[in-house]
Amino acid sequence: MDLFHNLGIGFEAALSLNNLTFCFIGVLVGTAIGILPGLGPLATIAMLLPLTYSLEPVTGLIMIAGIYYGAQYGGSTTAILVNLPGESSAIVSCLDGHQMARKGRAGAALAIAALGSFFAGTVATMLIAAFSPTLAEVAFLFGPVEYFAMMVLGLTAATLLAHGSFIKGVAMVLTGLILGLVGADVNSGTYRFTFGSFSLTEGIEFVAVAMGLFAFTDIVTNIRGDSAREVTAPSLGNLWMSRDEAKQAALPIVRGTIIGSLLGLLPGGGAMISSFASYAMEKRLSRNPEEFGHGAVAGLAGPEAANNAGAQTSFIPMLTLGIPSNGVMALMIGALMVHNIAPGPFVMVSNPEIFWGLIASMWIGNAILVVLNLPLIPLWVRLIRVHYWILFPIILTVCCVGLYSIENRVLPIYFAAGFTLVGCLFWRMRAEAAPLLLGFILGPLMEEHFRRALLLSNGDVAIFYQSTLSVVMLSTAAIICAVVLLPQIRRGRSAAFVEEA
Amino acid sequence: MSSTLNRKADIEAGLFFTLFGALTAGLSLQYQMGTVAAMGPGFFPFLLGVLLAVIGLIIFAKGLLARGEVVRTLPLWPAILITASLLVFAFLVLTAGLAAAVTAQVVVALRASEHFTWKRALALSAALLIFCYVVFVHFLGISVPMIAV
Repeated sequence: MDLFHNLGIGFEAALSLNNLTFCFIGVLVGTAIGILPGLGPLATIAMLLPLTYSLEPVTGLIMIAGIYYGAQYGGSTTAILVNLPGESSAIVSCLDGHQMARKGRAGAALAIAALGSFFAGTVATMLIAAFSPTLAEVAFLFGPVEYFAMMVLGLTAATLLAHGSFIKGVAMVLTGLILGLVGADVNSGTYRFTFGSFSLTEGIEFVAVAMGLFAFTDIVTNIRGDSAREVTAPSLGNLWMSRDEAKQAALPIVRGTIIGSLLGLLPGGGAMISSFASYAMEKRLSRNPEEFGHGAVAGLAGPEAANNAGAQTSFIPMLTLGIPSNGVMALMIGALMVHNIAPGPFVMVSNPEIFWGLIASMWIGNAILVVLNLPLIPLWVRLIRVHYWILFPIILTVCCVGLYSIENRVLPIYFAAGFTLVGCLFWRMRAEAAPLLLGFILGPLMEEHFRRALLLSNGDVAIFYQSTLSVVMLSTAAIICAVVLLPQIRRGRSAAFVEEA
Repeated sequence: MSSTLNRKADIEAGLFFTLFGALTAGLSLQYQMGTVAAMGPGFFPFLLGVLLAVIGLIIFAKGLLARGEVVRTLPLWPAILITASLLVFAFLVLTAGLAAAVTAQVVVALRASEHFTWKRALALSAALLIFCYVVFVHFLGISVPMIAV
């Protein structure tokens, strides 16, 4: 049996005392820092990356991976308790998770997040082990046309998340795509939109954009509602979910795991798209969609499972194709390169202990997370009782130090300040910032594949209709647009009739 | 939305997106356009800019014609003070050191809250400084001067 043989190699590598220790350290540090709002896995990993250079490649990767999903777990905890996304894929967890906390169900929300993540992690690990060789071949079929179509689909799905109008979400995606293009153009080396500043040649710092638009904007808009924050303290007696909540969470967790595993596999996908897509789906499927945004259990359970499944399976394109599906994966590639291992399909063959050891360590790490964190829930819950006037200066300072630590320079802080003002403007205009962030990440990749596709077809736009995969993805995106926009138009029309009457 | 009179949110958003799109398209013109088959660095941003400007106009028109959401009132002082606290930190951290940067940031930021008192601000700064030193400088080894000369 190939599967058991492969997993055997993996567990053998991951269960060595050394690797187990670093997996534990990674998960622990990741959770601790992920709990701190605004300091997500990207900044954490970037900070700790140099420390892993002296380790064995497998050990280093295992530790970084541990930080990654540890921080994700911590990020969800922060999102639920404080309504600040500890990192980008936890944005969705804020929506309903925090509302649950406000209703006094913080303990249940945390338990759902932990158990949902663990279930998703277990399933995703099995899926990776069973199908990764085959899935890698499917991913090989992706050309620039399919990449482009997939990104269009991913962005469209993400825009569904926007609370306000769909069209404003589309505009935000485009704004993000444009901001993502700042810096050196890959093909020609031209510096675009840098306004002559050398520090902009590598683009705008992602963490600065994220902190400005989410963490800092949230501080500004919440500062006056200080007293409202204090009433979110949950009763410590309700740490576990009720049977009813468990029942409500079960199906969304299964669906979220499926969505996450699939979307995470696609290059450019991963935890964030998965959680967005799962949230959108649960909202569509729900019998009471009006509960979403007001503490719907399904709106937390689905995305939590999806982002963990997506986070796990997003390692596949990185390990099999050498393509980073997100910033964290880019850092992982950097870590591999330091050890003179070029990520690609042959890693699975030449260094099976890296590929399978990493996968096995993910399951071990997730198990550690549940064991470690569920008993610690009372401690995290206590965080919510802290007055906001104590909390927000801490968030500000920790974020600033984090921004500074990325490259030991203050420029990202200035950018974060700028994006705070922009974020306030968006808040005023009721434009959801999440789609912007996604566009920002995908901007350069999308341009590259768009250009390459049209280069291959010699400028013929019809190439996007000549691949089955691309047609399927583009029409799915079109259907999403239709499904979302048509009811709006219909509602608008009927409302107009009411007005006339 | 129940309000039928106030349409400002879409109008403002539409204007913003139109201007930003137009600005992008305009700035893209300074880079090489190339052809569809061999695109220059200016092509894709120009495309995005035009698309954004068009969508911005649609949002603007929607704001003018249909009923829309009302803008939220931005708390002006917190917005200014929080942003200022970031700038103060960025400015002081390398010129005066972390100790001064954290203290100044906490004082400026806490001014935005109605719970501001000097005692609270100084106590918070002191606690934060110890935390920053232990976690960031000592454990994570971030090279930042506590007190710069």
